[in-house]
Amino acid sequence: MTQVHVTTTVNGDEVEFLADPRETLLDCLRDKVGMTGAKEGCGTGDCGACSVTLDGRLVCSCLVLGVEAEGKDIGTIEGMADGDDLHPLQAKFIEYAALQCGICTPGILVATEALLKKSPDPSEEEVRYWLAGNLCRCTGYDKIIRAVLDTARDLREGV
Amino acid sequence: MSDQSFADKAVMDFPRRDAHDKVTGRTRFTVDIGGSEVLHAALLRSDHASARIIKLDVEPARKMPGVRAIATGSDVPGRYGIGIADYTLLAKDVVRYHGEPIAAIAADTLEQARAALDAIELELEPLPASLTMADSLAENATLVHPDWQDYEVLFEGGVRGGNIAWEATVERGDTDAAFAREDVTIVEGFYEVGRQSHVPFEPRAAVASFEDGRYHIHASTQVPWTVRTVTARVLGVPESHVRVTVPTVGGGFGLKFDASIEPCAAVLARMTGRPVSIINSRREEQMTCLSRENAEIRIRSAVTSEGEIVGREATVLMDCGAYGGEQVFLTTMTTHTLGGNYKLGAVRICSRAVYTNTPPNGAFRACNGVYNTFALERHTDEIADAIGMDRMEFRRRHVLGDQDISATGQVYDGDVLAPMLERMEVLRAKSGSRKDLAGNRFYGEATTVGTWLIFVGPSAATVNLNYDGSATLVTTGVELGQGTMMQALPQIVAANLGIAPEDVIVKTADTDAAGRDLGVGGGRTTVSIGAASEAACTVVRDKLLGVASEILQTPKKDLVLARGRIEIKGRPGSGTTIQQVVAEAESRFGPISGSGSFTTPPFECMPGCTAGHFIDAIEPVFAVHNCELAIDPDTGKVDILAYRVVQDVGRALNPRAIHGQIQGGVVQGFGYALHEEITINETGAFDQTGFENYLLPLATDSIPVEFDLYEGAPAVGPFGTKGAGEIPILNVAAAIGCAVANATGKQVSSMPLTPPKIAALIDDCNPPLQHDHISPVWSENTIERK
Repeated sequence: MTQVHVTTTVNGDEVEFLADPRETLLDCLRDKVGMTGAKEGCGTGDCGACSVTLDGRLVCSCLVLGVEAEGKDIGTIEGMADGDDLHPLQAKFIEYAALQCGICTPGILVATEALLKKSPDPSEEEVRYWLAGNLCRCTGYDKIIRAVLDTARDLREGV
Repeated sequence: MSDQSFADKAVMDFPRRDAHDKVTGRTRFTVDIGGSEVLHAALLRSDHASARIIKLDVEPARKMPGVRAIATGSDVPGRYGIGIADYTLLAKDVVRYHGEPIAAIAADTLEQARAALDAIELELEPLPASLTMADSLAENATLVHPDWQDYEVLFEGGVRGGNIAWEATVERGDTDAAFAREDVTIVEGFYEVGRQSHVPFEPRAAVASFEDGRYHIHASTQVPWTVRTVTARVLGVPESHVRVTVPTVGGGFGLKFDASIEPCAAVLARMTGRPVSIINSRREEQMTCLSRENAEIRIRSAVTSEGEIVGREATVLMDCGAYGGEQVFLTTMTTHTLGGNYKLGAVRICSRAVYTNTPPNGAFRACNGVYNTFALERHTDEIADAIGMDRMEFRRRHVLGDQDISATGQVYDGDVLAPMLERMEVLRAKSGSRKDLAGNRFYGEATTVGTWLIFVGPSAATVNLNYDGSATLVTTGVELGQGTMMQALPQIVAANLGIAPEDVIVKTADTDAAGRDLGVGGGRTTVSIGAASEAACTVVRDKLLGVASEILQTPKKDLVLARGRIEIKGRPGSGTTIQQVVAEAESRFGPISGSGSFTTPPFECMPGCTAGHFIDAIEPVFAVHNCELAIDPDTGKVDILAYRVVQDVGRALNPRAIHGQIQGGVVQGFGYALHEEITINETGAFDQTGFENYLLPLATDSIPVEFDLYEGAPAVGPFGTKGAGEIPILNVAAAIGCAVANATGKQVSSMPLTPPKIAALIDDCNPPLQHDHISPVWSENTIERK
């Protein structure tokens, strides 16, 4: 099938790639752009391991076609830290030991960053429901929830 | 043996060193190994549960775009297995389950490989299938393996026959006499459970290459040495021709304890001369998951009015699926769990792994311990009810204590369970009842106990003391997320060498670099690899102190290793640095290194009472769980209101990491007990093909688990530690099952307790369980011994 030339911005950098029109954005990011932080947990949009943002909106990149990213801003886990400075959520996940095998972690961080942008003062229930689309099989979620709530508090208080 | 003077130095909440890369998306898992030179493979799988392969013509597929090689059963002819070599990697002549791989194609892209699968000409002639254990045990049942007698036996002592892949029995004391006593009440229970899928988010995956005449497999595995052995067996090459390395693994939970697709990648790599990647799709992963098996259980106990269990007999049928796999070994563990927890008089237990034409099962965190504990704890409630004793009072009085004997006659040291029950009462009192949260729903509470093992076994380790004063630990341990390789092991080495854990480099697993190891699972890594690492440190320390003793003109016994220095006891800051001693050692005899090993200590049991057991006596580990829950009387939906764990950890080396294991293991147990359901349809396939119908616990389903770590029980691990990762899931189904029984006042005999099942339970619509294929006469459930 004819490949389509796609021009996007990934984490602020202009990126071009050739995509099969049927190829998912997830596969394009992993195989064409070389960013493997987003993972394929299911390929059906159920697990959230492939979470990225598209023009600021949280999406499952396994449910978006690569060609749909034309002209859009993509945000991935690789762009979450500012150089060596971790995003406060990343730092808090380390501090709280909110990860084990770590394969769902990029998706959860991207999703929670999107939550905190939208809702800087989420209730615990809101965090749990927001993350209901991000599956984690290792941690039982508790340390993740604490880390998100405490990061939100720190950000509000300007810590 | 640990030097306890180092113990305090080993205890800390050392953070995971892999966390930074994991939160920034940099960690490379096996699924992330790629590059333009890597070929991608896909597997042709059976869509029948039982069929003869009439035609398998792969030639048309070879002409498809991008195809580089195709492997079929004749390319991987060797059989493998646990106990018996019954397993084939790619089916030949017949297929025995829906989803069984038949051929593997490597192509330039995954899409090309998948497209080429459709070009293979495959004709299957359906054969009769046994889809349930009742089918397999029926008279004149279809044999899943008609040639079972021809298979190579890998472990002697098992009794097997027909559709019984393996049978383990224990008979201790005169059970008939116990049941014939006039002063006993006889209590009988039936239980059954479904399968559970592990769902590590990294599926089983391997990238293999053929280098310098040897196979090199990067595998997402828990046991690199099993991948090595199985690959060599199926390919018919010496084991030394296979090297297995393991990048960071994205979860395992037991699924990756056995080999599966790795040898396919290896054979395709040899055929093509290129690296070949195989990654299961989520659907393949789900449909061929080596699940926690479904099981059917019958238990009878003869109990006095005081609650003394004078006799117990049990039969447990474990569905191993089309091949024996881990269930062959796990027949052993029925004895140790159903015969655990409580003092028993005479006992006889039979555990059978039964072949069916369904996807093979495997090991899953605490394995059959989870459902045997559920059955035992429900049965214990029924015993208490039958003799009119409070359920908790029964447990307090009859749990195993110091010098009590297990089902196999092993003498347990130390009172552990009784004080753990007391600690649970304290924990329960501290947080208080959550009954008010139940509102007008049914409210139930239960406390359950559990007995499991630390799966010790052989491990090897080498410690190289580096010129800069750091140490490199070389083992074939694997980091799956549990943290052992990142936390407990560097903590153990650091404490033994008086350096900081940050200065301990832990090499990732490579079968070319370290000695054999039974793998990561069964709570064994901290214990077995930890003990081997400690033994290696002892050698290193001895060499180091020998040289230092001469430099410092001080006897070895007066020297201590601390803060990266070798100091004279009681004089901090005295002595010299490790680097200086290493430099001196190098000039005398060379770099300092040491190797150590460990294996299961000789635990004793009563001779002659067991048959077919892989382990007659165990390193036990215990847990006490408490659950409060509410049930919506209309829908049957359960909400967990509180969950509490008192866990026997021996010594907690990294309490924060253990907390993570407890929280994670308990929530996996919530899924098992309440909504993770696998049903097998008439084609022999699972109905649940992915996350849309296999329901995992979500963030909204979890609650913070309260916990208390019980330290001080006897333990063989370094500094008295016990593995803490496996058993958090052990009693969850039991605690939830008993709490649901408490809430509803009904018999709870099966798992999972989905809302429709609980609603039916409340409305008395569930027919009582009975298993006609389990005879009321215990001996009729065993194969007659010759």
